[in-house]
Amino acid sequence: MRERKRLGLAAFAAAGTLLLAACGGSSGSSGGTASQGTTATYGAAITGVVNPSTHKGGTLTFGDSSTPDSTDPGNTYYAFMWNFTRLYTMPLMTYKSCPGSCGLQVVPDLATAPGQVSADGLTWTYHIQPNVKYEDGTTVTSQDVKYAVERTYDRSVFPLGPSYFPLLLQDPTYPGPYKDKTAGKMGLTSVTTPDSTTVVFHLAKPFADFNYVVAIPQTAPVPQSKDTGANYQLHPMSTGPYKFQSYQLNKTLTMVPNTNWSAASDPNAKQLVNKIVVNMNVNANDIDNRLMANDLGVDMPGTGVQAAARAKILASPTLKQQADNPISGFLWFFYINSVVPPLNNVACRQAVEYAANKVNLQTAYGGPIAGGAIGSTVAPPTLLGYKSFDLYEATTQPTGDVTKAKAALTACGHPSGFSTNIAYRSDRPKEVAAATALQQALSQVGIKTQLHGYPASTYYGNFAGVPRYVHSHDLGLATGGWAPDWPDGYGFFQYLTAGNSISPAGNTNIGELNDPVVNGLLAKFGTTTDAATRNSYTAQIDMQVMKDAVMLPEVYAKSLLYRNPNLTNVYVQQYFGMYNYAVLGLK
Amino acid sequence: MITFIIRRLIATVFLLVVVSMITFAIFFLVPRLAGQNSYQLATQYVGRNPTPAAVHDVEAKLGFNDPFYVQYGRFLKAIVFGAHYNNGPSSTYCPPPCFGYSFRTSQPVWPQMMSDAPVTLSIAAGAAVLWLVGGVSIGVLSALRKGSVFDRFSMGTALAGVSLPIFFTGLIALELFSYKWPIFPNVQFVPLTQNPLLWARNLVLPWIVLAFLYAALYARLTRAGMLETMGEDYIRTARAKGLPERTVIVKHGLRAALTPIVTIFGMDLGLLLGGAILTEVTFSMQGLGNFTIQAINNQDLPEIMGVTLLAAFFIVIANLVVDVLYAVVDPRVRY
Repeated sequence: MRERKRLGLAAFAAAGTLLLAACGGSSGSSGGTASQGTTATYGAAITGVVNPSTHKGGTLTFGDSSTPDSTDPGNTYYAFMWNFTRLYTMPLMTYKSCPGSCGLQVVPDLATAPGQVSADGLTWTYHIQPNVKYEDGTTVTSQDVKYAVERTYDRSVFPLGPSYFPLLLQDPTYPGPYKDKTAGKMGLTSVTTPDSTTVVFHLAKPFADFNYVVAIPQTAPVPQSKDTGANYQLHPMSTGPYKFQSYQLNKTLTMVPNTNWSAASDPNAKQLVNKIVVNMNVNANDIDNRLMANDLGVDMPGTGVQAAARAKILASPTLKQQADNPISGFLWFFYINSVVPPLNNVACRQAVEYAANKVNLQTAYGGPIAGGAIGSTVAPPTLLGYKSFDLYEATTQPTGDVTKAKAALTACGHPSGFSTNIAYRSDRPKEVAAATALQQALSQVGIKTQLHGYPASTYYGNFAGVPRYVHSHDLGLATGGWAPDWPDGYGFFQYLTAGNSISPAGNTNIGELNDPVVNGLLAKFGTTTDAATRNSYTAQIDMQVMKDAVMLPEVYAKSLLYRNPNLTNVYVQQYFGMYNYAVLGLK
Repeated sequence: MITFIIRRLIATVFLLVVVSMITFAIFFLVPRLAGQNSYQLATQYVGRNPTPAAVHDVEAKLGFNDPFYVQYGRFLKAIVFGAHYNNGPSSTYCPPPCFGYSFRTSQPVWPQMMSDAPVTLSIAAGAAVLWLVGGVSIGVLSALRKGSVFDRFSMGTALAGVSLPIFFTGLIALELFSYKWPIFPNVQFVPLTQNPLLWARNLVLPWIVLAFLYAALYARLTRAGMLETMGEDYIRTARAKGLPERTVIVKHGLRAALTPIVTIFGMDLGLLLGGAILTEVTFSMQGLGNFTIQAINNQDLPEIMGVTLLAAFFIVIANLVVDVLYAVVDPRVRY
């Protein structure tokens, strides 16, 4: 799961605001082309491009209220960093730069075409563009891609990124290049490079979503001679439109145009501004004020403005027309544990689904604009293959259905209710409010709950994500949030609901669902090469998970993003749920 | 005096060792006593959905497998002798005082703290001058004009200053003087060596906001001290001797009233040097306070240890300086 920038970001962290820095921005003509642009109105950047332009010049500033997990493309899991790294890296595949659902398409980036899969589904072959160069002018080779993948195996040096390659490829025990004793440190046998422009991945079992996996920044090439291990984050070798000029770790990053970049080889990014500056650890309210004062271009985490700025923006027609309120692709929900008694009875879990007051839960997360839309499904609407349905009257009777809840309690053998506990992250006020709201709603039907708060940083590692702890402490319900690593059903549901995802610590299938129907559909994702068929599984899984009632959807998260009027080419990239950082320019 | 200072410095070392042991124990022993194992501890430092092998790699690298005393011993040894760390293609040497490498960023802790220290020092020093001069002056004037409009107004303002948190006054100051009337636009830290004027201009708001909080307290303390002192017999005697009123107030009244002020000033300044957390966060300045927040949010033990020890060091040294200053302020004190 991509981390929604930590709201704090850490364990589950991400979505943001873009704006243009007036500082340094060349004024003068608006220049450039202005075809097919969308008028700057409220929500305009969700489906269209606001201020389209090819005008060059200016300094684009980003503000981050925290820090990136890492600027090393091999060691990052934050959603906004996956967006931002497109400014200086080219993984094999990427997401097409365009507004609306078009932005969910995975397209070639460094590769010349999507992967060619063998008949048995075990071999994926990519040809890379022969003329892509690093910032120092050297040519990118397929060996560099392989080396980048090898690095991700050394989790002692790069602990933060996803673990897909060891999970999917044939030699999961490869120790990483720094302990690799083979000549040239090319010992990862499951990735081969027949020539300098071809890279072949050998999978342990078929995995039809592999194009999505190589769209993760971890396949961005790394030249072995320039690899500095943990310090590579201070100056990753750029293949994108910008390169690092200076980086004071977790303070200020300055990037300048990469003169060896070619627009022809990287059509999903643009090189419009003269400089990009990222200021980190900036007060979140200060970021909002600077955005509205045109002192700052973009709110980097992309999680939306704070309450004070939200009130200002919504009250001012002028400011509001510069705002967008997209669905971020993130879902807030409660896990309902299927093992802890009496919730091991599906009817008891359904009683929770019916009894919950979804309006109060929505309010807990900030209401319909800052929080999100009431969710009736686990899959958010931005997921490929999403279908709307409502098994538990979340939208038709959003304040809860006491009658049906009591009927479900009777069916589960506890007509007067039962007792259980609710786990939540105590340092996240919205989750505290949501847990309290659920407690109140459940008490209406006789379900007595006690609230157990845990620090966000250890929530999954030590408490809610440790089944033994969950069972021994009777944690029947637990708050959660989720965004997919890629926008299809597998990317969303695998770690949330697959039986084989249940782990002794750091578990994200906290509902401990092990349903053969769900497991079977997720397995079919791996072997079904036809995308349409694969996407049809999404709604089936979603329906089954809701029938199993192991998750109580709260809201499809939304953010109120403020768009600096000086920015050009602004639109929400649906995959990231925030503005597309790779194409921004200044008036 | 020299013996006194040496004795205090030795005590400082022991105190820092004790502080480090307690911090270390809170981080490692308490979770284990609560039933968590080193594997679970390591999961905090790995990304989402890690493989067990990945967690074990991190567990081994961070040394969580070792007994508590081994880990602590390694920490102390690195501070005194430095240490070698494996951060990828080659081993890197961390010279003493080596507080280890961040669990999150894999960067050495000491240089990071030293790069942040000038920010905190700039904020604390400037604000300290303002609040000491402002607070003491207002306190003296209020005491001398007890019951006057000035006294009532200044003490009322002081009450507000003590009551209003920095994240409130700071945001108001930014809203008014940075955005609405951009007298101090784009407030951010600029090193003194780079541009002294910009350094000062960008620190004016943090200084004032921070000094407002502290000056209020100092004004009330000074006023109370002066009221008490000015009623003493020796003040009456001084006046009876025909000394000028200024001499009576400054040399005999204020000097005696300053002793508790010096004490609390040392404590306050020492605490601030360890990180002016709220001020730095409010004004987006990356000093030791922001460093501390990050370290805590990230559960980054080496950083937490580093900043805790540095803060403790500042407090202890500030107290030592205060003790020495006693001898200057109060002639009766001798070491």
